[in-house]
Amino acid sequence: MIRFFLLQNRQGKTRLSKWYVPPQSRGTHSVEAEKTRIEAEVHRFVTARDKKYTNFIEYNNYKLIYRRYAGLFFTIAVDVNDNELSYLETIHLFVELLDSYFSNVCELDIVFNFNKVYSILDEFMMAGEIEETSKREILDRVKDMEKME
Amino acid sequence: MATGGVNLSKEFFELLKAIGESKSKQEEDRIIAKEVVRLKQKLETPQSGGMGSPAATNQLLTSKKRAKEFLVRLLYVEMLGHDGSFGYIKAVEMAASSSLFHKRTGYLVCSACLSPEHEFRFMLVNQMQRDLQSSNVLEICGGVLAATALITEDMVPAVSGEVMKLIAHDSDTVRKKVIIALHRFHQLAPETVTREDLVEKLRKVLCDRDPSVMGSSLNVIEALAAEDATVFKDLIPSLVSILKQIGEHRLPSDYDYHRVPAPWIQMKIVRILGIVGKADAAASSGMYEILMDCMTKADVGVNAGYAVVYECVKTIATIYPNPKLLDAAGEAISRFIRSRSHNLKYLGVTGLAMIVEGNPQYAAQHQLVVMDCLEDPDETLQRKTLDLLYRMTNPVNVEFITERILEFLRGSTDLFLKNVLTKRVCSVAERYAPNNAWYIRTITQLFEVSGDMVKQEVAQNLMTLIAEGTGDSEEADMLLRQNAVELYVGLLRDKPGTATKLPRILLETIAWVLGEYGYLSAVCTLDDVLKELCALASVKARLPNSTRKFMLSAVFKLVSQAGTCPPHAATVIDEYTRSKDTDLQQRCLEFQTLLTTAPQILSQVFPVDASAEDLAVDPNLSFLNGYVQQAIANGARPYEKPEDDDDDDDFMDESATNKGSGFKMTPYEKPQTPAAAMAAMRGMGGATPSMPGVSLPPGAGYGASTAPVQANTGAPGAVQLNTRNVANVWGKPQAAAAAPAPPPPAATSNAFASPGASSFGASSTGTNPYLAAAGMSSAPAPPPEPPKTAEQLEKERKAAALFGGMIPGAAPPPPAPASAMSAAAARAAASGATPVAAPAPPPPPAPAPAVEIDLLDMSAWDTPAPAPPPAAAGIDIFAAAPLPAAAPAAPPQVETVSDDEEEAPAGGLAAPAAPAPVPPPNPIDNLDPFAAEGLLGDVQDAPLASLSMGTQKFEFNGVPLGPLEITTAQFGQQWGSCPAVAPLEVQSSKVTTLNAFMDVCSNVGAYKVESIVSTNEGICAGMIGGTHVVLIHGKVSPGGMGAKLNVTVKSTDPSVTGPLAMYMQTLLR
Repeated sequence: MIRFFLLQNRQGKTRLSKWYVPPQSRGTHSVEAEKTRIEAEVHRFVTARDKKYTNFIEYNNYKLIYRRYAGLFFTIAVDVNDNELSYLETIHLFVELLDSYFSNVCELDIVFNFNKVYSILDEFMMAGEIEETSKREILDRVKDMEKME
Repeated sequence: MATGGVNLSKEFFELLKAIGESKSKQEEDRIIAKEVVRLKQKLETPQSGGMGSPAATNQLLTSKKRAKEFLVRLLYVEMLGHDGSFGYIKAVEMAASSSLFHKRTGYLVCSACLSPEHEFRFMLVNQMQRDLQSSNVLEICGGVLAATALITEDMVPAVSGEVMKLIAHDSDTVRKKVIIALHRFHQLAPETVTREDLVEKLRKVLCDRDPSVMGSSLNVIEALAAEDATVFKDLIPSLVSILKQIGEHRLPSDYDYHRVPAPWIQMKIVRILGIVGKADAAASSGMYEILMDCMTKADVGVNAGYAVVYECVKTIATIYPNPKLLDAAGEAISRFIRSRSHNLKYLGVTGLAMIVEGNPQYAAQHQLVVMDCLEDPDETLQRKTLDLLYRMTNPVNVEFITERILEFLRGSTDLFLKNVLTKRVCSVAERYAPNNAWYIRTITQLFEVSGDMVKQEVAQNLMTLIAEGTGDSEEADMLLRQNAVELYVGLLRDKPGTATKLPRILLETIAWVLGEYGYLSAVCTLDDVLKELCALASVKARLPNSTRKFMLSAVFKLVSQAGTCPPHAATVIDEYTRSKDTDLQQRCLEFQTLLTTAPQILSQVFPVDASAEDLAVDPNLSFLNGYVQQAIANGARPYEKPEDDDDDDDFMDESATNKGSGFKMTPYEKPQTPAAAMAAMRGMGGATPSMPGVSLPPGAGYGASTAPVQANTGAPGAVQLNTRNVANVWGKPQAAAAAPAPPPPAATSNAFASPGASSFGASSTGTNPYLAAAGMSSAPAPPPEPPKTAEQLEKERKAAALFGGMIPGAAPPPPAPASAMSAAAARAAASGATPVAAPAPPPPPAPAPAVEIDLLDMSAWDTPAPAPPPAAAGIDIFAAAPLPAAAPAAPPQVETVSDDEEEAPAGGLAAPAAPAPVPPPNPIDNLDPFAAEGLLGDVQDAPLASLSMGTQKFEFNGVPLGPLEITTAQFGQQWGSCPAVAPLEVQSSKVTTLNAFMDVCSNVGAYKVESIVSTNEGICAGMIGGTHVVLIHGKVSPGGMGAKLNVTVKSTDPSVTGPLAMYMQTLLR
């Protein structure tokens, strides 16, 4: 199961963060503060890694699967016994979705339309599970919604 | 739609731009802070131009647009880690909007920002209910989505009914969301959406005509099957059939991803198959074919395909094994592991770890790659490789693997990982330790590296091991103890001044070991050891008091062994008499008192090497009877048991509780009886900072100090048991580990001889790797043709150390550079990897002598039988103590010899209470410098005075023992029917003849039944209060300085025997 999905740039600015399992609040840290802390930590981990390394990091009692596209890091946190490669491809499928939607996506598209990125994600994953893997199906739903605007 | 900027207000655009261009976090924070102020202002100023304005509708539209943007900006602020709570209410309002897009934005902001316990969530329930009932598919979807993200446990009943209805909705989009939402509800509130409800729905949804609905149901099936797979077993044929259809490209091509048909759905199904087929041969057999098929088809050279293959490997490793599939999985793993991609390598190592446990042969071909992975700079890969190593640990490679894990631990800062690895080192070391010395070294290193992450039990086990040894031979045990002492002395000396920085658990272990066995050190004197400990204890560093107690106890023990208190020790002890910790203070004061007033009993209070001895506990406290009688005689009021005393039950011994109160004790958890508590103390032995219980009655002034000790050690009873197991484990694998080394026939016979061998049967049975290796001179060894670099050779040697015992058929590579692959070299290489030899990678030259040594070692390990029950009698240990004591057979120790603690309850305890130290025979006294100072004489006055009553008749509870005139035949009959026995063995210089013995009995009050001169035996009988029969049997064996008296006291009343035996003992001595 997916715990969270993160999109960060190289400087560590969060472009999108979706939590399916909120973190435990620790001591005086609220859940929100804890989220911020974890996001910063994830950024530190993924940016420190060599390109040749695996795209997986064991992190506490779960695993981070990350992938870098230009200056953007996509990170998914999943349970330890989940299939790493499958989630690596999940990230790629998401990027393909963005690419189709924005036709040749770049970081700016995501910056200026991050709420749309959330909509796409919501049609792709739900409650920590991959809900739909057909690209056409997902994009159709998002476009349906746009018509209503 | 390049930027989409058209939809943004200028303000927002500028904000995004400014954030994008900001150079530092501080700058970003400033920008956001300004934005927050702006947003707050917007929230306060009324947004519409006022009522009745002609452009009202138009303005409403813009205001809505602005409101939406306001929320998006709020989300942006939150995303950058700032607080936007001031605007949440706007988001809730927006969720109620009639415009779908605004509604979605409202929900989005709510689900992203509201914490799980935020009260605004409740305000959304109503809105969700309305959306769920809508006729618009998109609104329904929005409602379902919001419900999964925002619902909390107590809100589930409010929406679950509506959602449940939607499972049959016409729209596939709705259905696929609903099944996931229902699962979410089930997780939150299993009593509202029950498992049964869900399973029933799942069965329908799995057969849905729409593939995406089927696909999303698989998520839920997987999660539920992981909890309990039984209800899904009948779904196997359906799942297999779906998988087959996917493989035949029967799904719409929309689901293809990089030419692989519906990889995610395939993976989910394969995964579910793994869960339902686990450990179920029948269920598994139905999926073998499709798994093979799926794996073959997916192998098309793209990541998505590999992901499917990997999922198949995982499933193959979990279900009931099938050799053909395992081979295929092994093949797939090899390809992963040899891949240049780190990701695939990682999967290969992970996959290998999954199948290697039952099938070590698959690891054989990957030795070098695994070594590479272990050295890889990528920590993720290293960790996985360590995981693999852990799983392939066997008695042969345990040293190498443990070393690697420890090395990794040293460099790691990740607490979670350290915890896992620490546990693993413990488990591996306990299971496969080649010998005890290695175990002690390893655990000590682990203490150093992981410190207090190591469980207290481990330290406890270690100390017990040192104290009890293996029981194989006293010499070996002593050597073991000596090694431990040298190790710890070395540790302290290596770190002058900083030793207190060592982890607490290590310091405590060191203190205990040095206190108990410091005298064994060959490199330094007892005094040196004492100095080290004093230095340690006197450091002002912040040490927990429990640790200080360990240290001071050790100091006490060493002082009493040395028989003299050097000034540095005296200073330390004196210092702690002023400690703020009252327990510590008390200990020091008590020790000081003992030292100054009664130094001759120090050796009994701190007996040497007695931590493993059994204690006899007298639960009736009968040794106090005399005192009580006296007090009553002096007019004291007898103790009356309070009526309501169930609190005290814990402290009563079992026999007392059984016959005592009418409470039924059995259904409760087994109480911590005093016996168990004492056993725990014994386990702690001298480690208990309290005065060891040997000579003290339970609770006689030291109750306070024993309690914290128990708390300290966790559950001591359990620990003790553990240790036994551990010891057994050590015992057997040694034999087993030794087995393979000698030439074939010996190996097999050994393996059979030791039942423990089965524990590593995987590698030793049948396909014994060493045999294969030894005999393989002509076998096709892997060495590549081109000459190897030194590095390569080094790596190969490591690999050999690692894969020893793993690889049937493949020989470890030659150890020495340039060595010809002669049969001899091969054998040397093989032996280099054999169990006992294995001091990591054997140095390149000199393989031949190593073999010799190994064989010798092994024969030594071979012979001993499995460990006998732990030190039954104290005699053993005492005799072995390298004190001058060894000479005379130490009469004062008699108490501890009582090998039958239950039947002679008073034996152990009463002795010290009675004035034991009758002068010199105690050899330790000879060492005692205080003895010379005449202190001894002073102290003795008191006990001797109490001895004087010895000429009187024995009294029990004020009733004197009277003669019972019976015949020898009657005596014989009574003998058998007396349940209570107290055996007694006394070395006496006073009573040396049978007649003298009979006179003593008569003095005590018994009737002389018969003296059998021929065998030097005599029997006497007596009676107490007309009800309790007392029988005495004695045998006198003259010899040496006096005579040895073996006396057995029997009685119908168990409480009589102990005191009488004690009484007689004092008279006879």
